[in-house]
Amino acid sequence: MDELKQVFLQESNEQLDALETLLLELENRPDDETTLNGIFRAAHTIKGAAGMVECAAVESFAHVVENVLDRLRNHEIAVTTELAALMLGCTDHLRVLVANEAGVAQVTIEWIEAQGARLLAELGQYGPGGQVFATPKAAEAGVERIPSNRSGHNCWHISVRFGPDVLRQGMDPENFLRFLETLGHIQHMETLTDIMPPVAEMDPELCYLGFEISLESSVDKQAIEDIFAFVRDECRLAILPPNSKVADYLELIESLPEDTLRLGEILVRVGALTADELAEGLRTQAIPAAAEQPDVLQIGEILVAQQVVQPELVAAAVAKQTQVSEKKAQDAKLIRVPADKLDHLINLVGELVIAGAATSLLAHTRRDGELIESSSLLSRLVEEIRDASLQLRTVQIGETFNRFHRLVRDACKDLGKDVQLVINGGETELDKSIVEKIGDPLMHLVRNSLDHGIELPAVREAAGKNPRGTLTLNACHDAGNIVIEVIDDGAGLNRDRILAKAIERGLVDAEAHLSDREIFDLIFAPGLSTAEQVTNLSGRGVGMDVVRRNLQALRGTINVDSHSGQGTRLTLRLPLTLAIIDGFLVVSGNRSYVIPLDAVVECIERPESEHNRNYFNLRGQVLPAVCLRESFSLPGERPARESVVVVQYAGQRAGIVVDRLAGELQAVIKPLGAIFRHLQGIGGSTILGSGEVALILDISALIKISGQAEQRLIARPELRNA
Amino acid sequence: MSALPASPAESSPAQYLTFLLGGEMFAVGILNIKEIIEYGAVTEIPMVPPFIRGVINLRGAVVPVIDLASRFGGKRSEISRRTCIVIIELTENDERQDIGVVVDAVSEVLEIPASEIEPPPSFGARIRADFIQGMGKVNGKFVILLEVDKVLSVDEIASLSRMVTDGAVDTLAGGVPAA
Repeated sequence: MDELKQVFLQESNEQLDALETLLLELENRPDDETTLNGIFRAAHTIKGAAGMVECAAVESFAHVVENVLDRLRNHEIAVTTELAALMLGCTDHLRVLVANEAGVAQVTIEWIEAQGARLLAELGQYGPGGQVFATPKAAEAGVERIPSNRSGHNCWHISVRFGPDVLRQGMDPENFLRFLETLGHIQHMETLTDIMPPVAEMDPELCYLGFEISLESSVDKQAIEDIFAFVRDECRLAILPPNSKVADYLELIESLPEDTLRLGEILVRVGALTADELAEGLRTQAIPAAAEQPDVLQIGEILVAQQVVQPELVAAAVAKQTQVSEKKAQDAKLIRVPADKLDHLINLVGELVIAGAATSLLAHTRRDGELIESSSLLSRLVEEIRDASLQLRTVQIGETFNRFHRLVRDACKDLGKDVQLVINGGETELDKSIVEKIGDPLMHLVRNSLDHGIELPAVREAAGKNPRGTLTLNACHDAGNIVIEVIDDGAGLNRDRILAKAIERGLVDAEAHLSDREIFDLIFAPGLSTAEQVTNLSGRGVGMDVVRRNLQALRGTINVDSHSGQGTRLTLRLPLTLAIIDGFLVVSGNRSYVIPLDAVVECIERPESEHNRNYFNLRGQVLPAVCLRESFSLPGERPARESVVVVQYAGQRAGIVVDRLAGELQAVIKPLGAIFRHLQGIGGSTILGSGEVALILDISALIKISGQAEQRLIARPELRNA
Repeated sequence: MSALPASPAESSPAQYLTFLLGGEMFAVGILNIKEIIEYGAVTEIPMVPPFIRGVINLRGAVVPVIDLASRFGGKRSEISRRTCIVIIELTENDERQDIGVVVDAVSEVLEIPASEIEPPPSFGARIRADFIQGMGKVNGKFVILLEVDKVLSVDEIASLSRMVTDGAVDTLAGGVPAA
């Protein structure tokens, strides 16, 4: 795919996002001009961009959408719920078309075409009479024309340039023109012979002709296109419906190979445009291009000099143009950078952090005061560079949150519920790679809340609650983590039903006494998704176990808190970035290990105990512990004094017994590679200042496998002597 | 005696690095070899098969190190002054991966023409037959030419590690000293 097209795909998706957001806004505030203009602008941008990369499917569909939007903007039709829904449908369809263009559409061409035809038919009800989509002519009578942006011309405008090989293929351009006559009356026709070489060089077997035709007819665009079907690949064909806007004509002029001014004159002659319209249009278009194309500017000047356009008109056009360029200038403050360049930069910064640590280590071993001072200055700068470059990758989470407006709206329609979505902390920033990966899990959680959490309005009213449910998405930073909450004020989790299901599936023992928290945690167990709950909305897609696994892959956690009748709160905790973490270095059996600092609560000396069991008394509470020396079968003698790092993970506390503590460090995470992909308890590795590789502990997995080991040991005591 | 399966010998490089392992001579095609470094600073990884010695820091990249003798089913190499790590670059499943192998001593780079390469014996080499690419004749002696893609197959090593990791619970249990 070429670069231009890639830019198009990316930009149109952005525009479609904007379009969707604005449409949802419009539904709430139907009279808001700014929103309406924004919608129109987005649709127009998509159309223009599609034309630029010759993506005809998107362009023509967007054009029809734009026509209806234009009528909305001109108050010819009113904003209704149905229309907004239809427009949202069109947005989706455009998205599919764009995806199709990118080759990533997940539906068949037939489906797309059927969908397109259905939407076009629906749009037809809102379009002006005699438009591309057939509407009874009578409707036209009531339509008031706006002369300033719509040409007062009732004919189809057909612009055709036959390819050089048309004659050779046995087709005569004249036949097509004659055939056109059968559809309607050709009002005016201009023959273009611009590309005809001098007679001496002319090849009589080649076709050099082009035509600008004005056709009065009540057929639809397809019928006209069909005439040219045989030569569709060989010729350039542009068809403008009657009453197209001046801008469309100008676009047409621009896109054609012939000289702009000359074409403009032709259009005036065939009656498509009036001279005024042309002049104004050309003027508006000429100004941005003035710097590169002085001759185009001249057209405007000439026109002014000839008093074809009034100076006020030009002034207005200039003012409008200035606004546009100011907006452009704002856009220019953003630079698009390929993601792999950023990744490379962050890798380099990672190396810099390691090298910096090595230098400061060296300085300390040399006991050179000046060197220590300069290396600490260096370290501080490196730290700043690290933070700044990591920030380059961060994006606001609001964009992800905003997508849920649409989901909530559609889900409410489907389920007959009334839910308002409240978003807090949308400006919270986090790593782009994380944002991309939490979209789906979040979507699942929101769907679950809508589907199972929030009750129907009648049920809510009966329970004495506001019939309108509230779904809240919160985001904030907390101690090196980002916290995302999905809160609903619905019925809450049904403790007994979950427990019954879990017992039924053999996930827990029937006699087990579980705390509320443990029971709620069961919803993440694979296979608990209860069959009777499957609906269109949340039965499909991923289960809660997949949500949890996705989050764990991002080194994140999820917690549930629920109160019957009051609602459910799901709390997601994610690291800010995946590349560099703050770690706590510990040493056991002469080997270095890194514990993620955000998991560390405190460090204590291993309390004296007579027994050899792995739990301690931490200020009156029982603290289970994992001994690294035992777990990793490390060689060497146990030192006389050991330390315990108290870690907290997913609300659980545990101790990790190590030989000694070695302080905090910034750890650049180095993946261990495919060979170690099944390794449990180790999350990755990092390189210390000394050049030594240290392993980063995966606390939750480590605690889990230690627990399992103990269970087995109890079950099979003979292993004890192995 | 040139009834040699044509493909591996002809497509394989003519230059080989020879090295000693447990007193025996082995060779690896030179095109796979990235560099040879002195043995040292290997960080052990817990709960993996014994033939994975650990990882090293190779100029900022973390590279796993395999003990070849142990991979062939024998004892781990004793580390001596001449022990080296040969860094071999592999491409498996379109992914590039560097792996280090521990050898007792590196000897020399030899040119072995295809005509001097015999097919592997069907048994008797005490090494899995698919690990052997062929038997090179050097000064009247046989050198085992290794099929590195098989010996260092990431998929195979990963699944072997998995068996150990799944059994790690037992290992862990075994590691707990008697109370």
